[in-house]
Amino acid sequence: MFTSGLKRSVVGITGIISRRGLASEAATEVPKLKTFKIYRWNPDHPAEKPKLQEYQVDLNKCGPMVLDALLKIKNEQDATLTFRRSCREGICGSCAMNIGGRNTLACLCRIDTDESKQTKIYPLPHMYIVKDLVPDLTHFYQQYKSIQPYLQRSKVPEDGKENLQSIEDREKLNGLYECILCACCSTACPSYWWNQEEYLGPAVLMQAYRWLIDSRDEASAARKQMLQNSMSLYRCHTIMNCTRTCPKGLNPGYAIAEIKKALIPA
Amino acid sequence: MVFQVACRSVAKRSFQSTARRSLTIPFLSTLPQAPGGVKGNVNDAYVPPPPHKTHGSLHWDFERAVAVCMPPLVGSALASGGDLGTVADSLLCSALFAHLYIGFQSCIIDYIPKRVYGKNYNYAMYLLTLGSIVGAVGVYKLETEEEGLTGVVQKLWTSEQKGDNK
Amino acid sequence: MIKRPSGLQRQILHLYRQFIRLAYQKPQENRAHFEKHFRYEFQRYKDLPRKDFSTIEHLLRVGRRRLELFSSPEVKDIH
Repeated sequence: MFTSGLKRSVVGITGIISRRGLASEAATEVPKLKTFKIYRWNPDHPAEKPKLQEYQVDLNKCGPMVLDALLKIKNEQDATLTFRRSCREGICGSCAMNIGGRNTLACLCRIDTDESKQTKIYPLPHMYIVKDLVPDLTHFYQQYKSIQPYLQRSKVPEDGKENLQSIEDREKLNGLYECILCACCSTACPSYWWNQEEYLGPAVLMQAYRWLIDSRDEASAARKQMLQNSMSLYRCHTIMNCTRTCPKGLNPGYAIAEIKKALIPA
Repeated sequence: MVFQVACRSVAKRSFQSTARRSLTIPFLSTLPQAPGGVKGNVNDAYVPPPPHKTHGSLHWDFERAVAVCMPPLVGSALASGGDLGTVADSLLCSALFAHLYIGFQSCIIDYIPKRVYGKNYNYAMYLLTLGSIVGAVGVYKLETEEEGLTGVVQKLWTSEQKGDNK
Repeated sequence: MIKRPSGLQRQILHLYRQFIRLAYQKPQENRAHFEKHFRYEFQRYKDLPRKDFSTIEHLLRVGRRRLELFSSPEVKDIH
């Protein structure tokens, strides 16, 4: 009994030395196999219909987040699985996808450890798909470009260096500037589903508001004028899916309501 | 082989696009759409519709004003047990009317957009306007010849009792 | 009598025409290469079922993107 324990510990030590980390410890446990169903579609065979493909991942050998599982699948099981990822810490917005029916960032979404349940992963809803989990965001970026997301001033600052802003004015931008344009909120909005060619969507409208209330910006009249039509802004019916789904915990619905209020006297 | 598989699965709903065809109303003709909803070059900015205040902020202000008017009007009608004056009753009628008109208009803009349906959007709007005119005439008659909207609703409640009395 | 082509068919024909016109704007010696490539790309999917709208629409989108790509004057030859 004692010797076997000793032997095991020796094996454990050599395991740690050879493999580094906790892999040897996990090998003795029962594998926790979790099933992921992932949307697959290959543009090289356009006539083949998209399908859900099943993958099994041992959660003991996998990181806690869905992105870790996706990377593990891509590394070990199927190298053709395609998805966008970059920072793996919720700051780039690349890995936005629909996980278990909710738009979120794969790197910020914990894997549901209940092995009896499958996790379904789809690309962002109602977007044109490039491949597998990669949506075409061209139109989304075009819309972002149209609100002119940069400081517009008629003259340069007097000292030639910075446009200064009071602390209170800076605080107004909190909760707006953190947006990483992952498009989770826009693609969760039914109004954006039906009319995305003309309705700007929560993400872009929140950025429109961010530039509208910036004390250093001088183009707010033109910015407001751009939204004065029935489609760009007023297709928002305060459904508030955007605020529910935002993986960064921001509130685009509030920002849109504030734009509507700002447009009342205009 | 791949192609045969493809043929067999044609009937299945496909996901590789937004499947707009399945979202459109089947018997209405649609206009051709830009590929991927993208107009112009990939680097071009989206061009918003021309600004128009009556469709923009003024429309929204009116919608909110009407919506804010509704609760006190309906509330007072309920509180007074239906014995509203003709003026208050016609106010209630017209506010309800405007509220419904804007609501349906919003539905048409959302689900039968001009961008996709072209002239069918106009037809839907004409239909709404026609219905509204008929409704307006009805409201006028209701106010002048009958006891108004509250009176009619009151009758709905009391008619059964009258039947019992007979 | 030939049946009048549907909207989607007309769009495909229009796209094909645009491609062939594009080929004629390229240097004379390479025109045949372009035409051959465009024909090949269209013929690859000629057996697609007529009712497979979503695939046809997808291919139309891809085709228009390619047209945009090829129409830049820097593209002079294709293999």
